[in-house]
Amino acid sequence: MILYIFTIIFFILSSPFFIGVIKSLKMFLLYKKPVSLFQGYYNFQKLLCKENIISSESSIITKVGPFLVLSPLIVVLFFLPPIFSKSFYVGFVDAFTIIGLISLSTFFLMLIGLDSGNSFGGIGSSREAFISSLVEPAMVLTVFSIGLMAKDIGVANASVNLAHNFPKEHMASFLFSAISFFILLLAENGRLPVDNPETHLELTMVHEAMILDLSGFYLLLIELAGSIKYIIFASLFVSLFLPFGLELSPFLAFMVFVLKILFVSVVIALVEINGAKLRLFKVPNLLGLSIIFSFLSLISFYVLG
Amino acid sequence: MFIFDSLSLLFIVFIILGVIPNLFYMLGYLKHIERKSYFLINYFVFIISMVGVVVSNNMIVFLFFWEIMSLTSWQLILTNYSQKDIGKISIFYFIMTHLGFIFILTLFAIVSNGSIASTTMDSVGGFVANFPYPTLLFIFALVGFLSKAGVVPFHVWLPYAHPKAPSPVSALMSGVMLKVALYGFIRVLFDILYPWPLEWGIAILILGSLSSLIGVLYALSEHDIKALLANHSIENIGIILIGFGIGMIFDTLGLKALSSFAFIASFFHIFNHMSFKSLLFMGAGSILYETGTKNMEKYGGLIKNMPITALSFLLASISISALPPTNGFLSEWMIFQSLLNSDVISHLDLKLSIPFAIFSLALTGGLAIACFVKAYGISFLGLHRSENAKYAKEDNKLMKIGMILMSLVVISLMIFAPIYIKYFDKTIFEFTRLSIYKEIFPDNFYSLHAIGSFGGVVSPLILVLMLIFITFLIYIAQKIFNVKTRVCDSWACGYKTDSQTQYSAVGFAGPIRRLFNWLYKPDVKFRKITINQETASFDQSHFELHVKPLFEKTLYDSVSLFISRVSYYVYKIAHFEQTRYCAVILALLISVLFSYRVFIGEFSWISICLEIVIMSFIFKVLIVGEKR
Repeated sequence: MILYIFTIIFFILSSPFFIGVIKSLKMFLLYKKPVSLFQGYYNFQKLLCKENIISSESSIITKVGPFLVLSPLIVVLFFLPPIFSKSFYVGFVDAFTIIGLISLSTFFLMLIGLDSGNSFGGIGSSREAFISSLVEPAMVLTVFSIGLMAKDIGVANASVNLAHNFPKEHMASFLFSAISFFILLLAENGRLPVDNPETHLELTMVHEAMILDLSGFYLLLIELAGSIKYIIFASLFVSLFLPFGLELSPFLAFMVFVLKILFVSVVIALVEINGAKLRLFKVPNLLGLSIIFSFLSLISFYVLG
Repeated sequence: MFIFDSLSLLFIVFIILGVIPNLFYMLGYLKHIERKSYFLINYFVFIISMVGVVVSNNMIVFLFFWEIMSLTSWQLILTNYSQKDIGKISIFYFIMTHLGFIFILTLFAIVSNGSIASTTMDSVGGFVANFPYPTLLFIFALVGFLSKAGVVPFHVWLPYAHPKAPSPVSALMSGVMLKVALYGFIRVLFDILYPWPLEWGIAILILGSLSSLIGVLYALSEHDIKALLANHSIENIGIILIGFGIGMIFDTLGLKALSSFAFIASFFHIFNHMSFKSLLFMGAGSILYETGTKNMEKYGGLIKNMPITALSFLLASISISALPPTNGFLSEWMIFQSLLNSDVISHLDLKLSIPFAIFSLALTGGLAIACFVKAYGISFLGLHRSENAKYAKEDNKLMKIGMILMSLVVISLMIFAPIYIKYFDKTIFEFTRLSIYKEIFPDNFYSLHAIGSFGGVVSPLILVLMLIFITFLIYIAQKIFNVKTRVCDSWACGYKTDSQTQYSAVGFAGPIRRLFNWLYKPDVKFRKITINQETASFDQSHFELHVKPLFEKTLYDSVSLFISRVSYYVYKIAHFEQTRYCAVILALLISVLFSYRVFIGEFSWISICLEIVIMSFIFKVLIVGEKR
């Protein structure tokens, strides 16, 4: 139980670090001088010292929205798969609830974008609505097929099942859903082929545009929510699609888990420096690919199973 | 004559839940209505007729109340007769609802073996069991009841008709009347047509998937707030039918527990949709009367002037978008779980098609979120887009009470879901003789377990408490860090922010509309006055976009075109002179003689050719005659 609480706190505290890893690795690979791995923490400290500036046009949504963006994601952290097999975990909460909670957070983020009445916020919300509405079916189909393979729809139970008896005969559908989930990881976290987190140019803005009029503590909450969302997706990816290392002793299992997340971060950085951002209206092609892979995964599961 | 079994009682509870908040709202709304006595008579008769439909057992009584329900709702649409296009739309509604009525009448006439007046619904099972064409009866029920419930492709009247009624009536029609139509369908399926073939369930599943997708897609392209909500009714009826269809499939395959679970899910969604859709229509009605327009582009910033309307609308929006922990999420979750259990089906081809239903349900969920961010964000957030929106205020107390009561219904469906599910289980028990309440809530009151081997669990209460607790913790953190707050103008990268530069509803749905352009085929009017023939800079521009439903263009307009062509020829024939009538009679006689030989079997190609030549000769010379 203590370890369970510890992992949740670890997830919250370490999430800016992993974002920092991606950022500095990207800069290193582009022959820039990399920022510190702990840049996220410095930013948070800076934001804490600043005061909140609220737009005079905004309403109560801007005041409560940031809390409601962050809190569903923290609730999701309680339901994530365990890092090692003997730890306590909440096994029964299923993937649909987790998807729903993430959508709840996105819902309030989009409302914040529309609240201050500036046109950038509207652009960002509109695009986010577009992307997240297409992410939803791919996501549901992917978790559906992984649930079928693991014989349990609760994500934590599913990851434990996969680690203990891996369905070797369904390797094909496993790989298909892994590809699909990786594309969703990129899309939901606003990584490069879908959205560029580093620029503030109008044409590339999705996520940044929505939070343009926030500052100080509220911006901190939203940034923290962004990094927690990344850690949720990364840990779901490593527990469901790289299911090994659960039986080791707690410390070793923990190290393996961190290494796996670092591995995912490195892969994302490599994908990001090797690709350009897609035009907004090409994004459905990428997400369509993800939908098709999840369909393929389900169909191959049914045909073989 | 009347029946009070648990299905009827369930729907009576349903109607009461929908009507009581509506009564308060209606009393507050009454001052906006010109013809008060006309409206009140129709309103109460409408409610009584709905109660009558759900309790009547005798077929003629059922049809009587059904017809009263149609007529009063039609009269209620006509309450404010000065609206644009009201005549055309009310006739459309009248025709569609009576088209359905004819099919129901035919169905009842067949199953009662001609004596509708003395037959009760629960006594005809034996007749149907020996009837050779049960699918014909199913199709009659499908067209008859589902055209009233607004299922694709019989949905086109719904987004026109519901917005024209006064808002409390729109809430009743969308929230309650559509479900009463579904009640009729469920009653006929359970009582009359019981052993269902597999194909029926599949047909319902396909219709449900199509309705949910098409409803939400057309809702996205709307900027008339009440039409948007009416389109969402189509979507939610689709979701209910997905649950019902998968239940029917499980029932046919003999998986009784799974089918009961799916039926409970769809009953739950019936209740949920009533609660949040009524609430949304009430909110829309309040806005409508403060701003004087249904166009969302003229709202904006209403959360500052109308806080209660805004908060109840927010609750309903979250619920209809199926976001946890609300009641809309719970029922959609149950439907997802039922679909997940399709793994146990042994037909491979059927199993392979279930993912498409999941896909459409999930895409519907995603698009519904986009749609309600649009509806809420454009109408309630941002700057005031018109003078009326600026001076809008909360309307009278009764309307507020109505909305608060309906919000309480929404919250009770979320928190007390186990109690409701217990009653749904009792209702289902009458038909399947299998109670699964103990399996859904095995260990404690608040964790809702899915039936089947995959074991999903959701607990709305724990989710709510956790969300509140964590939000509270973050709030404490804000207090600890002693965050100062300053109010300033919008930054917006230094650009000016005013009501005209905000994002519009049309623009918000732009990307999605562009993706589904093949479906919408919008009618775009774009005009700009340029300066010195330059393309980039212009003085004024005007962009207008209208989406006419594809089904209306293809299905309904082509049918009406076909009928008008046929009637043109009928008209021509009907106005012949007498000699031509004689010629027509002669031609008919000869053709009967000729075809008689074919029917008794004396068939030879030569004689057929000869006869065709003679017939065409007669037709040309005697009937068509010379062209003038």
